[in-house]
Amino acid sequence: MADIPVGTPLAAPLPRPRTLLAGTVFATAATLMYFAALFAVYLRERSDALAGGGGWIPSDADIQLAQPTVAAWTMLMSAVTVQWAVYAVARDDRAHAIMATALTGLFGVSVVITTSFQYTQMGLAADESIAAVLIYAISGSHLVMITVGLVFLGLVAFRWLAGQQVSRQADGFVAASIFWYAVVIVYVVIWTAIFVLK
Amino acid sequence: MTLTETRPQTQEVATGDHSQPAIQSPAVQWTPPTGLAGILSTGDHRVVGRLYVVFSLLLSGLALVLGVLIGIEKADIDGGFAVFGNANELFQVFGLYRTTLILCGLVPLFLGLAVAMAPHQLGASSVAYPRAAAAAFWTWLVGAITHIAATFAYGGLGSHQAGAAREQSVELTVLSLGVIGLGLLMGTGVVFATLVTQRPAGMDLLQMPAFCWSMLVACGVWLFSIPVLLANLVISWVDLRGADAMRFGAGDAPFEQVAWAFDAPQVFAWTIPLLGIAAEVLTTARGRRPKMFEPMAFIVGAFGFFSFGAWAQGFFDSADPAADDAHVVTGEALFTVFALAIALAVLAYGGWLAFNAASAGQRPEITPQFVLAVASGGLLTAAAASGVLRVAEPALGVLREADGDIWRGFFDAMDDLGESSLVTGLMNFALLGGLLAAVAGLYHWAPRLLGRPLSAPLGFLSVLALAGGSILYGLTDVLAGFFDQPERPYEAADLGAIDSLGFVEVLNVIGLVGAIAVLGGLTLVALNVAFVLSSSEKADNSQGGEI
Repeated sequence: MADIPVGTPLAAPLPRPRTLLAGTVFATAATLMYFAALFAVYLRERSDALAGGGGWIPSDADIQLAQPTVAAWTMLMSAVTVQWAVYAVARDDRAHAIMATALTGLFGVSVVITTSFQYTQMGLAADESIAAVLIYAISGSHLVMITVGLVFLGLVAFRWLAGQQVSRQADGFVAASIFWYAVVIVYVVIWTAIFVLK
Repeated sequence: MTLTETRPQTQEVATGDHSQPAIQSPAVQWTPPTGLAGILSTGDHRVVGRLYVVFSLLLSGLALVLGVLIGIEKADIDGGFAVFGNANELFQVFGLYRTTLILCGLVPLFLGLAVAMAPHQLGASSVAYPRAAAAAFWTWLVGAITHIAATFAYGGLGSHQAGAAREQSVELTVLSLGVIGLGLLMGTGVVFATLVTQRPAGMDLLQMPAFCWSMLVACGVWLFSIPVLLANLVISWVDLRGADAMRFGAGDAPFEQVAWAFDAPQVFAWTIPLLGIAAEVLTTARGRRPKMFEPMAFIVGAFGFFSFGAWAQGFFDSADPAADDAHVVTGEALFTVFALAIALAVLAYGGWLAFNAASAGQRPEITPQFVLAVASGGLLTAAAASGVLRVAEPALGVLREADGDIWRGFFDAMDDLGESSLVTGLMNFALLGGLLAAVAGLYHWAPRLLGRPLSAPLGFLSVLALAGGSILYGLTDVLAGFFDQPERPYEAADLGAIDSLGFVEVLNVIGLVGAIAVLGGLTLVALNVAFVLSSSEKADNSQGGEI
C-alpha cells in the first residue's frame, strides 16, 4: 500500500445519484404534458363551439366561480406550506416539518372535498355536452393527481418520521414538493381556463 | 429496520449479559425463489429485459399475423370479405395491427433491450428503479393481453358502423390501451432515469455508447408523446362512460383520435433507437470505435425532435377543409417542414455511417446483425422518402400553379397521396425498420443478454426473410398509393377511386407474400431465442447458478 503523507486531504466522496429526484422530475414532466394535451383539446373544442355560434357550457348548468376560487387559493397556500416543510426538513426542525406537512395534506384534502361538492352543485351530466365530458376528464384527472401527491407526501413524511430522512438526505421531500407544485400549477390553469373563461 | 435495509447475515443470541459480544452464528443464506415465483417476483434487470424481449417478440408476431389477414383481404380488394365478416371487423383488426405492432411489439422490445443492456453499457449494477421496471413490464403485459382480448370481444377502438361494436368492449379496449401506455411510460421513465443518474462519475452524456444516447433521445420524445396518447384515451373513455357517446367516443372517434401515433412524424419517434443500434453494430463490425460521435449525437437529437408528432392530430381538423380559415394539420407548413427535416436527418446519419465506414479502411465482418442493421437503415431511408412524397402535394402546388401542362401526369400521381396506402407503406417501412434493428441488437448483445450467441446460420435465414419481406411489404403499399388505393379500404365505396384495380391487386398479393416472409423471419428469430434461452437455462441449472 502506498504511503500517504500526513495532512493530505481525503478525496471528496462521490456524489450519490439523485435517482428519486430525477424520477420525480420525469414523472412530473409527463404529467404536465398530459394536462397540456387535455387543455389543448378543451380550448380547441371551446373555440370551435364559440366560432360556430353555439354556446359552450349548457345553459341549464350552474357553474359557480366561488368554490373554484376558494380551491385555487387553498392550492396556492399549500405551495407555501410544502416549501415550509422542505425548509424545516433541511434544518432537522421536526415540529415545523410535521406541522407544514399536515397543513399541506389538509389543504389537498379540502380541495378534493370542494371539487366533489361542486360536482353535486353544478348540474352538469357527463353525457350532456362535449364541455361536460372535457370538464370531468380534466378535473377528474386533477383529483387523481392530488391523491397521488398526497400519497407521495405521506410516504416521505412517514419515512422521515421513521428516522430515514435526515437533513443531508432530503431528496424525498424535495421530490414530493416538486410534484406538489405541479399539482398547484395545474389547478391554477384549470381555474383560469375552465372556470374563469367559462 | 425497514424494508430497504440490508438483510442481516448474523443472528444475535440473547444471553442476558449485554456486556458480552453477540455470538456469531453461521450466516443464514437467503435463496431467491425459482421458477414461476422467481419470474413473478424478480427485480433483476436482466430477467425483466428478457421478459420484455420474449413477450414483445410474441406480440410482434401476432401483429404480423393480423397484417397477413389484412393482406389477404387486400389481395382481392373488390371481392367482398374473405377473412372478416364485415367492414367493422376489418376496421377493428386494422386498428389492432397498429396498436399491437407499435405499443405491444416495437416500443417494449426497445425498452427490454435498454433495461437489460443499458446498465452494462454504463457500468452500473442495475437500472435506476429495478422494481419499477418489473412493475412497468407487468402493467404493460396485462394491458396488452386485455387490449387484444377486448378487441376480439367485439371491441376495438370504436366502430366503423353504428352499433356494430359492443360499447363495453370498446370501453375496455380504450382502457386497456391506457394501461399499456401507463406501463410503457413507467418503463420509459426507468430507462431515462437510469441513463441520467446511473452513469459513473466522469462519464458525461456524450460519452455514452450510441445505443444509450439514442434511448435517451427516444425516452425524451416518448415521455412527452405517450401522455398525449393517454389524454386522448381518457377523453374517449369519459365520453364512452356516458349514456351515449357524444364526440370523442362515438363511432370510430377513439381510433381517429389516436391515429397520429401511427402516422408521420410520430411513427419515426417509435424507431429512434434504430439509429443507436445500427451505429453500434455497423461500427463494431469493422472493429473500430465510432468517430465523430458528437455530430452523430446531434443528428439523432434532431431526428428525435422532428419526429415528435403529438401535435399533428387530424381528428381536430376543421369540419369543412375548403373553408378559408380551415385547419387541416397535414396541409400545414409545419407538417411539411418536419417531414423534410426527418429526411435530412436520415441522409446526414447515412453520411456519418459512410464516413465511419470509409475511415475504418477495412472490410466489415458480415454477420446477421450487420446485414440486419444495413437493412434497417435502408428501410428507414425508404420511410423518410415516403414521408417526403406524402407532403409533396402541397409543396408542389406552387409548381402546379406555375406550369401545369408540362408536369400534369406527375402532379396527378401526387394527388391525395396523404390519404392513400402510401401512408401505410410509410408506417410499415419505419416500424419494420425498427423491428429489424431491434433484432440486430438482439443478435449483437445475445451473449450478454441471453447467455450465449444466437445461431448465425439460422440468423442469415431469418435476415433474408425479414429484410426481403419488409421491402416487399412496404414498397407495394407505397406504389399502390400512386394508384389511389385508400389507406383504409374498409368498404367497397372506398375503392371507387382506384386506378388500374387489377395491377393494385397484383401489388397487394406481392405485399401479402412480403408480410408472410416477415412473419416467417420473426418466427425463426423467436425460435432461435427460445432455443438459446432453454439451453442457457440447462447450462445454468447444471452449474447450480442463477438463471
